[in-house]
Parts: sequence; C-alpha cells; structure tokens
Amino acid sequence: MTKAGTILRRSMMEIILVLLCIALSFEASGFLTAENLLNVLRNVSMQGVIAFGMTMVIISGEIDLSVGSAVAFTGCLMARTVELMSGQLLHLSQTAAVVVAIPITIVAAVLVGMATGYLRVRFRVPTFISTLAWMTILKGAAELVTNGFPIQSFPEWFNFIGGGYVFGVPFPAIVFVLVFAIIHFVMNFTKFGRSVYAVGGNAEAARLSGIKVTRTKIVVMATVAGLCAVAGIMQASQIMSGAATSGVGWELDVIAAVIIGGTSLMGGAGRVWGTFVGVIFLGVLVNGMTLLNISEYWQHVVRGALILLAVLINVAPTAKSARESA
Amino acid sequence: MADAGRLEAIALRKEYPGTLALDDVSVAFEGGRVHALVGKNGAGKSTFIKILAGTVQPTSGQVLVDGRPVQLRSASDAFAQGIATVYQELSLVPGLTVAENILLGRLPQKGPLIDWARTFREAQSILDGMGVSIDARRIVRELGVAQKQVVEIAKAMSFNPTAVMLDEPTSALAQHETEMLFGIVRQLAAKGVVVIYITHRLHELRQIADTVTVLRDGRLAGRIEIADSTPEQIVHLMFGEVVKRRRPTHTVNQAKPVLEVEGLAKAGKFHDVSFSLRAGEVLGIAGMLGSGRTELLKAIFGAEPADSGEVRLGGKSILPASPSQMKDFGVALTPEDRKAEGLVQILSTRANLCLASLDRIAVRGFTTQARERAAVQTLVGGLAIKAPNLEDAVSALSGGNQQKVVVGKWLNTKPKVMLLDEPTRGIDVQAKQQIFEIIWSLSEQGIGSIIVSSELEELLEVCHRILIMRHGTIVGEASPEGMTADELTVRCMEDE
Repeated sequence: MTKAGTILRRSMMEIILVLLCIALSFEASGFLTAENLLNVLRNVSMQGVIAFGMTMVIISGEIDLSVGSAVAFTGCLMARTVELMSGQLLHLSQTAAVVVAIPITIVAAVLVGMATGYLRVRFRVPTFISTLAWMTILKGAAELVTNGFPIQSFPEWFNFIGGGYVFGVPFPAIVFVLVFAIIHFVMNFTKFGRSVYAVGGNAEAARLSGIKVTRTKIVVMATVAGLCAVAGIMQASQIMSGAATSGVGWELDVIAAVIIGGTSLMGGAGRVWGTFVGVIFLGVLVNGMTLLNISEYWQHVVRGALILLAVLINVAPTAKSARESA
Repeated sequence: MADAGRLEAIALRKEYPGTLALDDVSVAFEGGRVHALVGKNGAGKSTFIKILAGTVQPTSGQVLVDGRPVQLRSASDAFAQGIATVYQELSLVPGLTVAENILLGRLPQKGPLIDWARTFREAQSILDGMGVSIDARRIVRELGVAQKQVVEIAKAMSFNPTAVMLDEPTSALAQHETEMLFGIVRQLAAKGVVVIYITHRLHELRQIADTVTVLRDGRLAGRIEIADSTPEQIVHLMFGEVVKRRRPTHTVNQAKPVLEVEGLAKAGKFHDVSFSLRAGEVLGIAGMLGSGRTELLKAIFGAEPADSGEVRLGGKSILPASPSQMKDFGVALTPEDRKAEGLVQILSTRANLCLASLDRIAVRGFTTQARERAAVQTLVGGLAIKAPNLEDAVSALSGGNQQKVVVGKWLNTKPKVMLLDEPTRGIDVQAKQQIFEIIWSLSEQGIGSIIVSSELEELLEVCHRILIMRHGTIVGEASPEGMTADELTVRCMEDE
C-alpha cells in the first residue's frame, strides 16, 4: 500500500466525520451554530468518558457490558449516600455530604471493576459473562438503593457538575476532554499503557516477558468502572436525582464508539484518539438526524447498521488473512 | 496380501520466494509396506506431505497413484484420488459421536433425514475391520488421545484409500498406546495399503517401518531397507556431515556458578534435576520431545513453578514464583513457540523489542516513542535484525528475524542467565549462525546460557557442555569435544 493510501486508511473516520459535518451544515439548519455544537459535545460527554475506559478494556482483550447499569447504580448510590449523610444518619450539611459521597461512589465502582478483573485472572471467568452478570446485579442494586423511586437529595449547586458551563463550555464536555487527554497519555506514554497493548495482543507472551498480566487486567477493569462512576455522578447531577433508569442501553453506544474508532475487537490494537472521533461521530449523527426530523425509529436502525458496517471494516483485514492462511 | 497399491512422486519441486523447499524429489512407495519418512526441520518433509495431501501445489513434478497421474488441487481431490492423510493435530469434532466423525460430511441419508442406523453400522464395520473395540456411538470427547487417533485413522480408511499418510501419530501417545497404534498400522499395510509414516522419533523406526526415506535440504538423501541399516546410518543421512564448530575458546571451568539447581521436581514433568551453570558458560540440554526439558526451563523461570527443589542465583537461594520476579533477578527465557509465547504478533517490532524492558526504558513509569526507539536502535544494529520499518507489525519479519527479536527483547534487561528453548526452530542456516554468534557474544560478556534443542548437532556446535535429559531427569553429561551427532542421538534415545 502506498504511503498516501495508508494515511487515508488510518484517517478514514476523521474524513467521514468531516464530510458528515459539511453535509449537515448545508442540509440541517441550526447544525452549524456554536450552541448546537456545544450541545452535541455535552450530549456525548458522559458516554464518551466511559468510552475511553472501554477502549482500554477492549485493547486489553476484554469487554465490559455492565457500564450502563454501573451508571445507574453509581448515580443512585451517590444520591442515597448524600441523603443518609445529610439526613438522619450524620446530620452533615448537604455540601459536606456531596464531598464525602463522591469518593465513596467512585471507590464502590472501582471495587466492582477490580472484582471483575480478579474473577478474570484468578478463575478465568470471561468478562463477557461476568460483566453480563454485573449488568443485572448493578441494575437491581440501583433499584434497591433507591427503593424504586428517584432520590432527590442534592443541593442546588450540584447541578453544575452535569449542567454547568465554564466560559460557555459545558462542564461535562471539559471532563470529557480531560479524561481523553489522560487516557491518551496513559496508553501512549506510560509503561502501564504499553503493557495493556501487549497483554491484549498476546497475554502469554506478555507474561513470559515479565509483564504483570494479572495486575494489568485488574487495573483496566477498575479504570472503566471508575469512569462509569464519574459519568454516573455527572448524569445524576444533570437530572438532579439518582434514578435507576439512568444509563439504560449505554453499553451499546459506548462499545459502538470504540469499534467505530477502529479499536480491534481481538485486542492488542486501537487508538484513544480513534474513540474520541467515534464518540463525536455518533453524537453528530444523532444530532443531525434529529435536526432533519428523522424519526427515532429510523435513528435506531441507522445506528445499528452503522455498528455492523464499522465491525465489518474492523474485521476485514483479519478475515482476509484468515482466508489466505487457510 | 491383497492387491497392493502404489504411490509415486516424480521430480516434485516446490519453490517459495527465496527458498527451494523441494528440489526434484522422485520416490516410489509400494503398498503392503510401512514407509517411514524422516528428515530434520526444514528438510522439506512437510512440504512433501502437503503436496501429496493436496494442500500445497508443486511448482513442477507429478504424483502417480497406481501408475496414473493425478491432479491434487485440494485436500478433497487427494481423498478422491485415494490419498488419505491423518494429521497430528486431531481434526475431530469433540461433541459428535465417533460414527459422525468418521463419516463427517458424507452421512448416509434416507430422504431428507440422516439414516442413523446405517451411519452407526458403517462406522462400526470400519472400526471392527481395523480390529479395534471402540463403540461408534460414543462421543469423541470421552475418548483418550490414542482412541481419538484411531478414529482419525478410521476416518481416513472410510475413503478406501490407496495410500495413507500418518503425520507423527504417536507424538502424544504413551508407550502401550503406541504399540496398539503400531498394530493397526501393520494391519493397514497387510491389506495392501501404501502406508507412509512420518516421524521424528528415530527409535520407532525399527519397530514399525519396513523402509526409511530420508529428506535433507529439500532433496532425497536416500532410501534404505530398515533391516539393512544402522541408527548411525539413518542419522548420518538426515544430518549429513557435522558442520564446523566455532565455539569461543575461552575457558569457563574456573568461573563461578551463576545458577545452581538442586533436586528440582514437578509432578508428571521432571524430577530430581540438579546441575549448575557457570558465568559465561553455554550449557546444552539434549533430550527428545516430552523429556521434560521445556517444563524445566519454565520452572526455573517461574512461569510454571516447580513443586520442590532449590534454585540458587549467584549463591543466593530463591523461589522462582513468576516471570516478572525472575526478570528482576536477571533471568531471561526465550520460549519454544515464537508465535504463541515469544511475540505479540499484532504489535510493532519496536514494541516487541521493548516488551521485557519497559521497566528500564520508562522513567518513573513514563515512556515515549523516542525513548523506546533509542533503546531499540542499538539492538537492531547489534543483532542485525532486518526490518524495513520498526513500526510495522513484527509478524511481517522472517522467522530468523523474529527469533532475533525474541532474544533481543531480553538484552536490555541486563540478564545474567539466558534460558533459550529451541532458539533455532524453523529458521534458516544463516540466521542460525547469527543466533549462535549472539549466544557466544553473551558468553564472552559472562552471561550464562542454557539451550534446549532437539537439533543435537547444533548443541554440539554451540555448547561448552551438554546435559542429557530423558524421561524427566538428567541422565548424563557429554562434552561436545570429539562427539558426533550420531553418538549424542543414540545417548538421548537409549532406553532404560
């Protein structure tokens, strides 16, 4: 393949995204306004934060299907903790209760992620199965924590986290870009990040090179869980309550963004930047379709078809080499 | 004897880009006899078999079955023309019955439905005809390895073949199972079938084969009647003249031991292993496949820890528990299986060369591509790794260059002991010499190496001292001075 061809292939998603934006700015009135674009950014930022963690997970050769339920659970846990701490239990001020509840929520999520990782490396439970179980467990736990009704226990200022603006930029969007920068740095410039690629590419070769495969996988699963808590807190802040119905179906959008971004389903290959583009692409697509008054039913069909297409592009080289070696 | 078949190869030639895998091989196999086919790695054995099995197309030459020329464009062509192959990787479907596996893809039908009664009857009659007592209704998963191998043969026999090729059928079998299999193989021959038996276990030849056909460097090195041959003769045909040795002459007798192993044991793998390795010494472990040599290296490296025994590094007793711990102690392992264990195929050559030394390249956990490239550059030059682009996937490199990457990734970890498991497997002669030179230059720097290899003539070339391993324990020691590969082979195979 020529050099230009390689660059074209590598940046295919970026090109498609730009073309889509150009098309929408002509066709959909109101697309190319600062307000709308910031709105897109805010809409994708919570799922986007998780998508960066999911990128690590998929590169490491695993999957996490429980992210949607984790968002619901952490939002509810947050609301419930604030309620208990500021209410009959500790008589803290609401502000103090929020400050205490945030680390508790994140730690709880991280522990769940560590458990998944531990089950994977110690008992070889595939994450496809264990996170499917967590999906149900966390959903149930969210219902239990809230008793089935949304808890509204947050102080007014708390809405800033999910709904506020800094110099006109939505706060969640700032968190989104920040998390992107951190994960991008970790994956490309730290020993740990490089180990994640090695473990996902060939865990046995990594182990025999003295890389701590066990620790790597546990940390990766804990990271995505922790990011779910960040998203869950932002989501709870946006709707100013802890609701067990949050995050339904998010796992699909998050995984779709990662795959569209070019991360290999087989593990070992992928770029955090690709996921960034994938997240924005999905956000622009949904926004554009809404502006064009395309019915929600069709939107579902289009998004699903797109995921299929992305996976086809993703596995095409592998399938070709499989045929050749057969 | 029934009508005996005949399988002939005439001037078979196979060129791959850059190599000549088969160089005009002509040989005829008569039915009613067991023909052993032997040859060291890279001799062209597997190319030869693949051509006869229809999975590789020859550049030129012809195959004759019973005197008529046949076109073998695919595996199914070969079966249709009467050449059946039984591969060592079992190709059975574990969840299905024996009968279904034997008749897979050709199940007898009654209208749109499977005729189960006939399926079981036909399969059973093939099994009975082979004189084995396996119930055709059993699920394959429940069978032992030897029985599975028999089912494979039954599957091949269901095609009523002229010739059957058996690719290392005993490599996973225990002694008594091997004998049962030999019984079946002899029966096949007695029916007039051409039996071609591929093996690397030279001691089996006398038990099972009537003739031995030897390939070397893509050519027919010779064909002899087993009754008229000696083991040394066969080994000589396989390996040719022993290559000249260029081992470094510096003496290591006075050097301090860097690694001492005492009474190391792991249930079912090896037992009672004791030896020591001096600084700068190149120590070989000679042994047949399954002698426990790979497991021993992995135990010393902490990858598959031993059950009991002692390992001392520089006089200090340690308990090998994990590769990352042993790496910190200065022990390195290059695994036998380059693809599955040595390299992360999907990653770049640069990333693979950094794999073991990320701790050293990264400063407080942080690394950059520039820093990695700098660390790798000296390795690429020093090891003469031929890679058009270090950022391309390592899988694009040739086998020899991949092996240099496997060795090279450890050199930045400042090892004191290198454990090399089959470091020359599947690489060309020139790359082998380069790997030897790397090992010798490590030796001159005082790094001790342990090399496990089934290519005994290579051990004679590269090692200062050779341990002989058999049935999981070290049974003796040999000095390469004045020893021939034939003698060493005989010592490795001697039965207790």
